[in-house]
Amino acid sequence: MKIRTNLRLSVATTLLLIASQTASAESFRWASNTDPQTMDPHAVNSAPVLSFLNNVYEGLVRRGRDMSIEGSLAESWEPLEGENGWRFNLRRGVTFHDGSAFDAADVKFSYERASSEAADVRSWFAPVAEFRVVDDFTVEFVTTAPNPLFPDSIANFMILDSDWAEANDAALPARDAENHATRNTNGTGPFMVSDRDPGVSTTLTPYDGWWDTVEHNVTEATFTPIGNASTGLAALLSGEIDFIQPIPLQDVGQVEGRDGFQVLEGLETRVIMFGFGHEHDSLLFSSDVDGANPFTDPRVRLAVAHAIDVDTIDRVVMRGKIEPVNQLVPEGISGYSEANAGRPEYNPDRARELLTEAGYPNGFSFGLKCTNDRYINDESLCRAAAGMLAAVGLNAELTTMPVRNYWEQLRADDFDMYLLGWSPGTFDAEHPIRFLLHSQDDEKKLGSWNFGNYSNARVDELLPAIQQEIDPAARQALIDEVVEITQRDVAYVPMYTQPLIWASKDNVDLTQRADNFFLLRWVTVN
Amino acid sequence: MVYLILKRLLQSFFVMLAVAFLAFSLFRFVGDPVSQMTGVETSVEDRERLRDELGLNDPFIFQFARFTGDLVQGDFGFSYRTREPVGEMIAKRLPATLELGTFALVISLVVGIPAGIYTALRPRGFVSQSILLVTLVGVSIPTFVIGIILIFLFGVQLAWLPTFGRNGTVDLGGWSTSFLTLDGWRSLILPAMTLGVYQLTLTMRLVRAQMMEVLRSDYIRFATARGVPYRQLYFKHALANTMVPVITIIGLQFGGVVAFSIVTESVFQWPGMGLLFLESIRFVDIPVMGVYLVVIAFFFVIVNLVVDMLYVAIDPRLRVKEAA
Repeated sequence: MKIRTNLRLSVATTLLLIASQTASAESFRWASNTDPQTMDPHAVNSAPVLSFLNNVYEGLVRRGRDMSIEGSLAESWEPLEGENGWRFNLRRGVTFHDGSAFDAADVKFSYERASSEAADVRSWFAPVAEFRVVDDFTVEFVTTAPNPLFPDSIANFMILDSDWAEANDAALPARDAENHATRNTNGTGPFMVSDRDPGVSTTLTPYDGWWDTVEHNVTEATFTPIGNASTGLAALLSGEIDFIQPIPLQDVGQVEGRDGFQVLEGLETRVIMFGFGHEHDSLLFSSDVDGANPFTDPRVRLAVAHAIDVDTIDRVVMRGKIEPVNQLVPEGISGYSEANAGRPEYNPDRARELLTEAGYPNGFSFGLKCTNDRYINDESLCRAAAGMLAAVGLNAELTTMPVRNYWEQLRADDFDMYLLGWSPGTFDAEHPIRFLLHSQDDEKKLGSWNFGNYSNARVDELLPAIQQEIDPAARQALIDEVVEITQRDVAYVPMYTQPLIWASKDNVDLTQRADNFFLLRWVTVN
Repeated sequence: MVYLILKRLLQSFFVMLAVAFLAFSLFRFVGDPVSQMTGVETSVEDRERLRDELGLNDPFIFQFARFTGDLVQGDFGFSYRTREPVGEMIAKRLPATLELGTFALVISLVVGIPAGIYTALRPRGFVSQSILLVTLVGVSIPTFVIGIILIFLFGVQLAWLPTFGRNGTVDLGGWSTSFLTLDGWRSLILPAMTLGVYQLTLTMRLVRAQMMEVLRSDYIRFATARGVPYRQLYFKHALANTMVPVITIIGLQFGGVVAFSIVTESVFQWPGMGLLFLESIRFVDIPVMGVYLVVIAFFFVIVNLVVDMLYVAIDPRLRVKEAA
């Protein structure tokens, strides 16, 4: 017994020794499952890219630890007088990593670059009618309609140095072949990219001339993409990396059970829901219903909501880490409708009654499509849900597939019911209304992820009103109405928000932001 | 000989063309590249424009013709995912895969051949039986499980070796090598062991079977009767005859080791071509997948050619036949 304890102690000390050897005090190594595809802040509008580049580039405004908007390269901003739009007063004395000074010309250049056809982030500037440089440190965005949320919506619009980009032939984001900005950076942010080997590792070093107060104590940070979750966990436990995002739900116990490591848990704002083919005339994958689509009946959709037991899913599939939701944004997001906070309780009897009322006393069979590599335990979730639906007579024929095949099938209307996760990019309730609830309208670029084409004239009417309403109370009343309508219609069946699970050594202090962005400026290694 | 080589190279051209054709006809089922290249908020209109620019709306046969046409002219295209030139991406990853494959092969030969001889000479010994048993277990467990076990044992518990990546490389004129630094070797050990286990078992069992058969042949018996020393008998006369089929099989296997190191590379985050291919599938990076498959096809052709030539060089009977 004694010997065994000693042995364990010595193994522990060896581990500690090695850990301290490999991680010298302030050099920081972290891993994630996806390498940012590019270092160009305007080329790809994806979370891995924007999260990473927020360390290097900065926007006019930025989000704080709690997602609130604060000044960054703009010190202040105010609505224009006499016309729609916003004036931004730029910060003075900011320099880019190569030493050149930041001013309105860089904002103008970056705006033109980011709103060009070659940019993937141009949708942010859809409301902009005109951009004006007032003087070297004042710029104005004129919008086509009142737009109270415009500053929030451009928190990830990052500013490049115009001279640098033009001198290196990177005036536009790379469309087919790469250009200088694909692998090189010149931002104003707290870190500079000092070395990049795409898909292998990227090294960042602090920028001494950063304008803001330094809170981190990192002297060098190295990012490695590790695609395989077990490998990533092993790398953390062996001390080769200090931090990893995310780790699989099933590995939480592995990390929690060990000295010297911590699990960081939070809730993402992504709402997991089921959607329906509202517009289909008949079911595509049914063996017993022909020439009709029961899901066009709101009672059938409500039956689905009553049949799914989110608490059981939480316990069995998600290890108690999810939070049930009742609308398309979780509580805490601006515009969340307090007035509509109830959700259909789990009640299989009520579900059966509703089906009987709708004319399907014995239920029916239909096709359910799900991803198997997009959301946390998505395949297990769908299996569990299919089992619960079968209990009330709704026989789901489940098809799961990787996300690279999934959107294509949904866009081709190839589903009866489907799984979707939605994170409000602007952290406001207007976002899912624009993308998921407004009728599909390619011309106005609305409803682009409303695969089932849920359509309600009143909702379509309310969206522009919400976008333009300046008065918060009036705006909230409009949002409340949309939520009330879409809950009554059961446009979707929102189930829960999924957790964010990160893991690190316990000598690392960092901030887990709800948008799953990881920022080095909040890292301290003790 | 020259004729043989030329014939094979010509064949290789058609093999690559066939592989490219098959690959391209399957890419449609891998998924939609545009969805992977654009963000959530990108409008339908912008997506369609990108699809047009990439030529994804053209008929399959046009896309294939464009790909092969560019390839023949030495233009490998650009990755959809990173926009890097594909030729450069593959060239950068090639050394990692080749070094890993080669070292795995060396391990399998250095351990497998002596073990094979030993187990052939003492077939009933305890040590022989143990070796046979252990290697049997080794081939029965899937590669990724072996990899994970090795990582947790030597990387996490004992912390002797790194758990992932390819550290300590030295750049020799565009070829990054692991062989010149201690860190490089330390990174190489676990993945090479993982990749080499199957090879090792195969080599050992092949050598053992061949050796046992050769030992039963008449000339060995006569040599034993003549009083040829055992050392000379086993390691010169018997082994030489054992090696002919062994080299063929090992050579052919090497192509497989390099081509299918995908699993090992993924488990160890080893930045080789296999890992690149996996990432490319995830992002439906058609140019990279296409070029990778063509390169692998070419590699197989070359390996087969080399094996054929070795075969002729080792076995005198074949030379006689060819002359006749």
